[in-house]
Amino acid sequence: MRGALLIILLVAGSVAGLLWGQVALAPGALWQGLVTGEGPAALMIGTIRGPRVGTALGAGAVLGLSGALFQTLFRNPLAAPDILGFTSGAGLAVVVSIAFGLVAPMPLVAAAGGILAALLVTGIAWRRGHRTPPLSIILVGLGMGFFTSALSNFLMTLLPQAEAAEAQRWVTGSLAARDWGHVAQVWLPGAALLLAALGQARLLETLELGDDLAAGLGLRVEAVRRGLAATGVLLAATGVAVAGPVPFVALMSGPLGARITGATSVAGRLLAAAGAGALVLMLADLVARSALPGIQLPVGVMTGILGAPYLLWRLSREMDRGKL
Amino acid sequence: MRMLWVAVVLVLCALGSLTIGARALAPSVYLDALLAFDPSDPAHVTLVAVRLPRLMAGIIAGAALGVAGTVMQALTRNPLADPGILGVNAGAAFALLLGTSLLGRSDEAMVALLSFPGAALASIAVFALGGGLRGDVGPVRLTLAGAALNALLLSLVSAVALVRQETLDVFRFWVAGSLTQATTRPLGAMAAVAALGGIIALVIAPRIEALSLGGALSRGLGTHPRRVQAGALLVVTLTTGAAVAVAGPIAFLGLMVPPLARLVSGHNLRAEMVVSAMAGAALLTFADTLGRLLMAPSEIRAGIMTALIGGPVFLWIARRIRPGAAT
Repeated sequence: MRGALLIILLVAGSVAGLLWGQVALAPGALWQGLVTGEGPAALMIGTIRGPRVGTALGAGAVLGLSGALFQTLFRNPLAAPDILGFTSGAGLAVVVSIAFGLVAPMPLVAAAGGILAALLVTGIAWRRGHRTPPLSIILVGLGMGFFTSALSNFLMTLLPQAEAAEAQRWVTGSLAARDWGHVAQVWLPGAALLLAALGQARLLETLELGDDLAAGLGLRVEAVRRGLAATGVLLAATGVAVAGPVPFVALMSGPLGARITGATSVAGRLLAAAGAGALVLMLADLVARSALPGIQLPVGVMTGILGAPYLLWRLSREMDRGKL
Repeated sequence: MRMLWVAVVLVLCALGSLTIGARALAPSVYLDALLAFDPSDPAHVTLVAVRLPRLMAGIIAGAALGVAGTVMQALTRNPLADPGILGVNAGAAFALLLGTSLLGRSDEAMVALLSFPGAALASIAVFALGGGLRGDVGPVRLTLAGAALNALLLSLVSAVALVRQETLDVFRFWVAGSLTQATTRPLGAMAAVAALGGIIALVIAPRIEALSLGGALSRGLGTHPRRVQAGALLVVTLTTGAAVAVAGPIAFLGLMVPPLARLVSGHNLRAEMVVSAMAGAALLTFADTLGRLLMAPSEIRAGIMTALIGGPVFLWIARRIRPGAAT
């Protein structure tokens, strides 16, 4: 059972995430802190590293799950919400709310932005009487990413210095200063959406046979596709709401999860992608906050450095297969 | 002669750039400053020391990016090619930032030279990674390769900027170029380099056109694909490098200008290059002036203005090409 390997990696990674940082804890101190709830270790875990690791695990899981959902839906390993511009749409919505001082819960704002971006991308790529090719959606999505980042750069010039710096950190993707509220904010909707995704796994499996065959088996293809896309966008927005639009986690997690677990069924691959996303984001954050003495990099910097070469590698693979 | 109209538009944009600004100048000042420059008159100083360099920077960077975009689009047969989208701007800007942080701000001219190796590395990398060496550059793979390069360099810049605690300044420069610092840039030298790039572009234009006919046919015409590609990448390096050294990274200008130019020039690459240079200069000057007007007395950076206009243009072009459906 190779799924166990992923679970072991997650547990080991989480322990490492709690132990290490700018100040390393001894394993004994961690144990004592967890058991007795007293001492400096308990304080550090209870107020700083615990919520941070919890948020990273949750946000990574929903992003990874969202990535795998879209990759399966479009039958293309490049079709992840971060490539398609959905996460940057969600990010832009949050920058707008910071810039104009809107008082609304961040998950709702991010979800609205993500859904709007998804509708725009599919709407722009759509043409009457033609089936929209996935590559067309990818191209339009890349354009949406460019445009949303231009808009958030524009909004940032309107903001005073301190708020602009805050917004800048936010659009890079950061897990600094998370609290248990953030953990709840990502885990509760995340769990509900995970169940929704798993509930639709059977439909997705039928859809993988091809649209015509699926329709022949009595599947209402367009309705199913819309339901899956909505679930995927909400998952991505849930992650963005607590961690910002961290790049490439959604893109990498699906293939990575499948590689680690060897899962073949759709439900198995979705679960594996969630686990891999949690692992990637948590480890990237661990490296980002502890690699340099005295400086904590935002996690988005680290996933960018990891993810961009992965994207290039994936690109050349797809080219070799003649699929791009 | 429709080309003349483009020149007229450029002159109008240039006049607009000189006349519009925080300090209102009387019409007589322009002629006076030209004929009898008086260094003690603040109006003269504003015109000659502030607005004129800014206009020059706009013309140099705009023309250079227009040519760069035209060459990239012709070489890759891809209407979405642009120095900003494909990460060449980012390569040059990254080299500049690295230079400033290693050498300091003392030697602006030396640092400006670094933008050329940066642009060269980035353009070779994106061309190779996008499949250019296999002679088969699809719009999706080229754009994705550019996006990956941009993301990688952005992450590295963020890391360096945060380590050196000069984050916000660096980011402002990085996300969008502007013409505000024109006076401190080596305008003359960069104009010369950009002009050299333009001349090479005019010389190799027929070869690039022959290359776009496809492998066997272009070889029959005596074209060496590798040499033409190398020449084109040299042009992209010289023009983009000069533009970034003058104005920082200005995105989407090279995307928008060539299709506009083709309306005037038709499908003749040499004519398209000339029109693109003029149209690019006009568009960047116009964007800069507009950015000053909209938010007076503050201003919107020229690179942000071009990105705001260019984003929808990208979406419009992306919608019209159907990758996967065609090949």
